[in-house]
Amino acid sequence: MKFSVTKEKLLEGLQQVQNVVSTRTTLPILSNVLLQASGNEVHLTTTDLDVGVRGSFEANVDREGATTLPARRLFTIIRELPSSEIQIEVDGKNAASIRSGQSFFKILGLPEEEFPPLPKFEGAKSVTIPQKALRDGLRKTAYAISTDETRYVLNGVLFSLKDNKLTLVATDGRRLAMVDLDLEFPRSHESDIIVPTKAVTELQRLLTEEGDVKVSFGSGQIAFDLNNTLLVSKLIEGNYPNYRQVIPSETKERVTLERETFLNSLRRVSLLASDKSNSIKLNFSKNNIDITANTPEVGEAKESLPVAYKGRDFSIAFNPEFFMAPLRNLSEDEVFLDLIDEMSPGVLKIQTPFLYVLMPMRISS
Amino acid sequence: MDCFYAAIEVRDRPELAGKPVGVGGARDRRGVLTTCNYEARKFGVHSAMPTFMALQRCPNLILLPTRFDVYRRESATIRAVLRRFSPLVEPLSLDEAYLDVTEHRGAPGPLAHVIRELIFRKTKLTASAGIGPNKLIAKIASDMNKPNGQCEVAVEQVPAFMAALPVRKLWGIGQVTEQKLQRLGVETCSDLQRFSRAELCDHFGRFGLELYDQCRGLDDRPVEPDRERKSLSTEETFSSDLRTLEDCEDQLPELVDSLTADLREKEADRAVTKIFVKLKFADFTRTTIERAGLTPTLEDYRRLLHEAFARTGKHVRLLGVGVRFASTEAADQAQLALL
Repeated sequence: MKFSVTKEKLLEGLQQVQNVVSTRTTLPILSNVLLQASGNEVHLTTTDLDVGVRGSFEANVDREGATTLPARRLFTIIRELPSSEIQIEVDGKNAASIRSGQSFFKILGLPEEEFPPLPKFEGAKSVTIPQKALRDGLRKTAYAISTDETRYVLNGVLFSLKDNKLTLVATDGRRLAMVDLDLEFPRSHESDIIVPTKAVTELQRLLTEEGDVKVSFGSGQIAFDLNNTLLVSKLIEGNYPNYRQVIPSETKERVTLERETFLNSLRRVSLLASDKSNSIKLNFSKNNIDITANTPEVGEAKESLPVAYKGRDFSIAFNPEFFMAPLRNLSEDEVFLDLIDEMSPGVLKIQTPFLYVLMPMRISS
Repeated sequence: MDCFYAAIEVRDRPELAGKPVGVGGARDRRGVLTTCNYEARKFGVHSAMPTFMALQRCPNLILLPTRFDVYRRESATIRAVLRRFSPLVEPLSLDEAYLDVTEHRGAPGPLAHVIRELIFRKTKLTASAGIGPNKLIAKIASDMNKPNGQCEVAVEQVPAFMAALPVRKLWGIGQVTEQKLQRLGVETCSDLQRFSRAELCDHFGRFGLELYDQCRGLDDRPVEPDRERKSLSTEETFSSDLRTLEDCEDQLPELVDSLTADLREKEADRAVTKIFVKLKFADFTRTTIERAGLTPTLEDYRRLLHEAFARTGKHVRLLGVGVRFASTEAADQAQLALL
């Protein structure tokens, strides 16, 4: 295999696939990127056996062929090369010679045959979604994914296809984020599938503001086809909990908040949320919220926020991080906060179909 | 510990002895039981069962609210007992912990007996123990002779112990995976041992690698006394020094990206108290600047980088970005659960 390429194109190609590569693995081949040169492009593939990404870049291919090379090492070398013109030549023993300007590197790879193939999809169902919509939906939900490995069905985003809607849900058992997207598909495509965190993270990196993404799924696998790049992932097997039942059906108090103002207040006050309790309190009174926090033997913080509020006086405590996460990831100017009482979940809403359910913390006296 | 929360409630209210008791999950809400005692289990009640279902199966079930302050106090007492025998204590929850007694003189079986005895004397609560050459075996064995019992699996017994073990006892195998394994004709670990690494990866992805080791009783995870990460960072040493602030700024997006991915994967729900930027200079001196109240975003890291760089103006050979976390132990207990 022999090809030449510009540094920019090669780096861009490697950047798209290199995050999947596992750094610690019992199978050395999984640290490698598969390079396949043919026609006037080179395909790049990486996988950790759960998630795989395949991309490509344009190149002048002098001799077609394929090999696998250590991905991180290749990336760090290419990034440091002095000239924009790079030539890579691989011999029959998978040793790659990299030439650029006055630099010469030789790195040893492994045979193409050892590289695990990405799964093939047969008879899979597929839907097409605007990239921007999916990107936006994931941004509004993915931060709520659980990292608790003992609740592995929550270690991903639920894609629920039903009644011509794609519902994205993420929860860690204490808060839950949900977005509805309108999408047309045949009734036979209705499914609930759980896409694991790593695939969601990679997908968010690959999605752009333009164009569509074709999503195919079936037999425990999902593929996202973004024109030039393909992301394939295993799905999480298991039943996602019945999230609808935790969404409060009633509300007692609603306040409208300016998102940025509220976020900034929370951020300031949370500076004095103690490491131990890690909670802030919202104290509601007529047309006002006092946001307070205190750390024993350190000090306290308080900020008042004028709001339109006519309900009863009461206080409710939240983990500030759980409250700030959705506010950071939304772009709307206004958000609505619905509350029932100090022990029931609060709900954050916006004008479009999104909601965030957050359980309060016990208020210690 | 055996039915820890329920056992504490029964201990503190002797009139409940011999009666079915469940803890948590208020009757009027859609709650679930946190745990229940063995009397209740006889009726088919188990932890994490919705309260209404538990009451259907066992109408006489006595439901008590949780008292986490009491459970935490007992848990601290028990951990103190464990630490008398080894500094390597890794708590899994309030009522479960790994204890590495490799360095302890004397046989582990009798030692476990002494520890359980001592726990009982201090708390009037019974504990069960599993003794094995690694965490996997110890954990599985701890379930074997519950309640108030122990089970020891010596190194030479591991192959026989694993061979007969139903696969559902392995870590990470729930209903769905178990069914999938059944379709492959796998019931026990010895059935599973017939599969090659590659075959298991085909069926289960990366988890296949773990299964391959697990079904042979292989596990090399150390007992980690301090499980809670205090900080997380990403750094890079450059082959040629970064000379200007702009050079450093160019490297920042990639570092922050990688840190963000790491955070998402490992500690997504931890509260970040501080973020920091670390610089190591061409002359191997270093500086770290950290600040509370900023968020781990490119924008905030750029602010810190400007300050850190301005301190010396020297050429930079290493650039790192990171976050420090708030401790979660107490916060976890006050946070109410949604699901």
